[in-house]
Amino acid sequence: MAEAAYSSKMLSGRWQDRLRGLRSLTQELWRDKAGFIGMLLIAALLLMAVAAPLLAPHDPAAQDLRARLKPPAWSAQGTWNHILGTDHLGRDVLSRLIYGSRVSLLVGAAVVTIAGTFGVIMGLLAGYRGGRTDSIIMRWIDTQVAFPGLLLALIILAVIGPSMITVIIVLSLNGWMVYGRMTRSAVLAVRQTAYVEAAEIVGCRAHRVIFRHILPNLTSPLLTLAILEFARIVLAEAALSFLGLGIQPPATSWGLDVATGKDYIFRAWWLVTMPGIAISITVLAVNLVASWMRLISDPQEREKQFARKMAVRQRRRRATGQ
Amino acid sequence: MGRYILRRLLHGIIVIFGVTIIVFVVTRMVGDPVKVMLPLEATLEQRAAFEKQLGLDRPIMVQFVEFMGDVARLDFGDSLWQHRPAMEIVFEKLPLTLVLTAVGIGLAFVLSIPLGIIAALRPGGVSDRSTVFVSLIGLSVPQFWLGLLFIVVFAVQLHWLPTSGTATIAHIILPGLTMALPVLARLVMIVRSSMIDELNQQYVQTGYAKGIPFLRVVGLHALRNASLPVATLVGWETIRAIAGYSVVVETVFAWPGLGLTAIQAIEREDLILLQAIVFSVAVLVVMINILMDIAYTLIDPRLRLA
Amino acid sequence: MKIRGKLLLGCFLVMALAAFANAQDVTIAIGSEPTTLDPQLREDGGERAVNDNIYETLMARTPKGQLIPGLAASEPRLIDPQTWEIKLRSGIKFHNGEPFNADAVVFSVKRIINPKFNSEQISFFNTIQDAQKVDNLTVRLKTDGPDPILLSRLYWMKIVPPKHSMDSKFAEKPVGTGPYRFVQWDRGESITLVRNSNYWGTKPLVSRVKYRFIEEPGTRLAGLMAGEFDIITNLLPEFTQQVPKAIHILGLEHPIIILNADGGPTKDVRVRQALNYAVDKDALAEGLFEGFAQVAQGQLLSPSFFGYNPKVKAYPYNPDKAKQLLKAAGAVGATVELIGTAGRWLKDRELVEAVAAYWDAVGVKTKVRIFEFNEYLNRLFDRKTRGDAIFVVSSNELLDADKSFSAYYKAGGIGSSNTDKQLATLIDNARSETDFAKRKSIYHQAVKRAFDQAYFTWLLNIEDIYGVSARVDWSGRVDAKILVSEMKVKK
Repeated sequence: MAEAAYSSKMLSGRWQDRLRGLRSLTQELWRDKAGFIGMLLIAALLLMAVAAPLLAPHDPAAQDLRARLKPPAWSAQGTWNHILGTDHLGRDVLSRLIYGSRVSLLVGAAVVTIAGTFGVIMGLLAGYRGGRTDSIIMRWIDTQVAFPGLLLALIILAVIGPSMITVIIVLSLNGWMVYGRMTRSAVLAVRQTAYVEAAEIVGCRAHRVIFRHILPNLTSPLLTLAILEFARIVLAEAALSFLGLGIQPPATSWGLDVATGKDYIFRAWWLVTMPGIAISITVLAVNLVASWMRLISDPQEREKQFARKMAVRQRRRRATGQ
Repeated sequence: MGRYILRRLLHGIIVIFGVTIIVFVVTRMVGDPVKVMLPLEATLEQRAAFEKQLGLDRPIMVQFVEFMGDVARLDFGDSLWQHRPAMEIVFEKLPLTLVLTAVGIGLAFVLSIPLGIIAALRPGGVSDRSTVFVSLIGLSVPQFWLGLLFIVVFAVQLHWLPTSGTATIAHIILPGLTMALPVLARLVMIVRSSMIDELNQQYVQTGYAKGIPFLRVVGLHALRNASLPVATLVGWETIRAIAGYSVVVETVFAWPGLGLTAIQAIEREDLILLQAIVFSVAVLVVMINILMDIAYTLIDPRLRLA
Repeated sequence: MKIRGKLLLGCFLVMALAAFANAQDVTIAIGSEPTTLDPQLREDGGERAVNDNIYETLMARTPKGQLIPGLAASEPRLIDPQTWEIKLRSGIKFHNGEPFNADAVVFSVKRIINPKFNSEQISFFNTIQDAQKVDNLTVRLKTDGPDPILLSRLYWMKIVPPKHSMDSKFAEKPVGTGPYRFVQWDRGESITLVRNSNYWGTKPLVSRVKYRFIEEPGTRLAGLMAGEFDIITNLLPEFTQQVPKAIHILGLEHPIIILNADGGPTKDVRVRQALNYAVDKDALAEGLFEGFAQVAQGQLLSPSFFGYNPKVKAYPYNPDKAKQLLKAAGAVGATVELIGTAGRWLKDRELVEAVAAYWDAVGVKTKVRIFEFNEYLNRLFDRKTRGDAIFVVSSNELLDADKSFSAYYKAGGIGSSNTDKQLATLIDNARSETDFAKRKSIYHQAVKRAFDQAYFTWLLNIEDIYGVSARVDWSGRVDAKILVSEMKVKK
């Protein structure tokens, strides 16, 4: 049902139009301040992750047992050498935050790419082939959706042994079904449209139909979904690392730093607070961008937005009229 | 209707079967409980004897057949860690997880309706914008972190509420809130957007025009029509809470439910207990799924055809 | 609505009661819930913490670790090299009224050594062959050879009531002779004990004790800070300033590094000595453990353990000497693999990394390999390819050299990395020597030999730290038992 709604709006949005509208897009981004801030934050995070060795004042793993649990610079015993203080081994918290962004973004990007690719392929197969293929894939998706995903992930992590690779695999295994479902229903809807039917009658080959006519229409809803999933994955990685089943030391991860910091919560508040804020800001930025994306990429949603504005204006007029 | 439910049940059984097989394969193929269970100084003979006691020295197919038999009888054997039937432990811990889930989801549900409606009344207004923004923050804050902050502020600084345990109603407030907040954020968003849609519908406008009191229009008509997406989300969040959030929240608050027990079983490589927990949660998830499907068809009979 | 209101009111009442009515109550947060309350079945820290207060043993120890008679009326006598005679105290009753006598002791011994019972504690008692009743208050124990540490072993054998222990509910309703009586076990939540008003010994002061099970050290600490707990175990050294009171006492745990004497760069004794000289043990104790650890004196024993050699002292911190030795051995720049695990023992990973830094500083290349515990155990137990250096924390509840030495010093022991026949012979001889003085001198020789050969890098002896609320007085014990009868609540 929800998927059917997605497909109808895709008809009105053509790929070429979108490219041409790039300028109006940036204008729109500027108008939606929240989305703009989100974009800026993500850009900053990306920069931070890429340029971590240049930005980080210290080696994130370098210990200094004599400078353990130093508070941030602005408090009485803090030093500017460690702007956000040090942890229980005297490691620089700021440097660990900067390097930690790499893990969060890398895991997020990898999982979204793997799960997204696999899910889209499965969705295309199901939607395009139909028949037996379709029902087998859909049964599979239904079955996996009904799995208690996280618990199963915990078992796999516990038995295979946690590492970044296992985290990526487990989260990908758990997350591809959404893409599959969405792609399939979009394919089904698009295939019934006149121009795709026409293309098929003319004798276009399957891959041409898929790549020329179907995928372009899927781009923006898939992108929105991928961004939302990205936010979910960042949180999931943090939670797994917090439980001790994700990234393992000596690697750094924000979730892991919260877990080690929680033992020191009454002596060194910054150890738990800083990585927690980093996770929150990252996820918030991604969420802001996602909600903005949904607005601009969904004509229905835009219509609604317009209607709401009008309704509010009307109501106000009514109120002042009295 | 009957055939529909039967089909859903059959599908549920397939899911449970699948979970059971995966659990068996993963635990038998890769894990070695013997090493971890025995003390450091145990001799090689003691290790071999222990392996035999667990039945891990026999061919994998024999183990599998026996395992399926055990599952059918709901008897996974004794927990390696607690030395009593694993299912006994599950039945002991499950109610605590269910209570926590019920409180968390219930709280989120009860709060989300008024908040969502208030936001929807004036889309783009101050109350709407602030609700959306706070919800976005609620969605972005990691749950384990939120729980830790709650402990520091409400238990240690203010001494209002206990840090951990289950003895009184006061003990459930902090874990319940931690469980509720992300769910609340998502629910508020859904209530808000479906209410906005409904409030713009012709019938609501007609209702206004006919002079039906505002609250009645909202309460009776709009709310009822918005109930399908809300019910869907509540069902989903319940599943996610039982099979996911509970692990995190219970760990933070030392709430002795199934989630915390699962983590403890992992730490002790207690495969038998872990199998029992995952199996039970799978059954629970499947049951909730079926209940959700039935609830849909009650709310919206058109879905029966699907 | 009405019912819920009453329920709520009831709950608040309970809370209010919990807060005010219990002037002589103590709440103790321990790390794990007991898996059973049968005192003879499992090797389980949670069970022990609770049952140490319900049950008693024939031999007891003072808080400083000295062996004294407990349920035994006097120190047991050795009649022949394999037979001990034990006189029992008279007039003692179990909490359910069953008498404590020779029958109870014989029953308890036979129960725990019965192979069918399959006790996890059997490694403490595997030398005991039989128990015989002589008269109502006299028992004889037979060992399979001379067993000089039988008395230390008896300190771990809890005496159970013969009749009640046949009850199927015995594991849930413990009945002993001790100063506290079992009341209730809310699974997952708490265990409650009350004072035994008929206790034969000194009357305890605390009237009621509640155990809570909190795995996370941070959560235990939060509970102590919030006033919910009176005593928490395994406090991190960093928090000794924060908590109302912290008590610390030299414990049973020794982190050491096993050096491979049979292969690799550590085959050369000079390299092994260099790796000892290279480490600043005092700095580890002061820095990493904030003073809550003591430098191990070149042996895997605490001063309170039998066999401790007071003449052997730790290798001093002398990086120059370490460099010279490495140079002489031609091992400058050699790669030493150091194997450890993380999260199993207090600051395990930190210790390994700190030691590696010290070793690097004198000119070897240390390759730190932190394994997940399962994989780590594979390395520790691997007899064929020994790692150059393996970090381990040894714990010795018998307070006697035999256990640690058999496992780590003796060639072929589960975690040993040497094939020193002379050392192995010494350890074997000490095992069957019943003359205390002779046995002690054999251990002194063994300690000295291992020290000279530098089979290990000895690091520290860790202190147990407890967080204690302001209202409770308690000073801890060297054997890490938490005996409520030694506590006092301030008015």
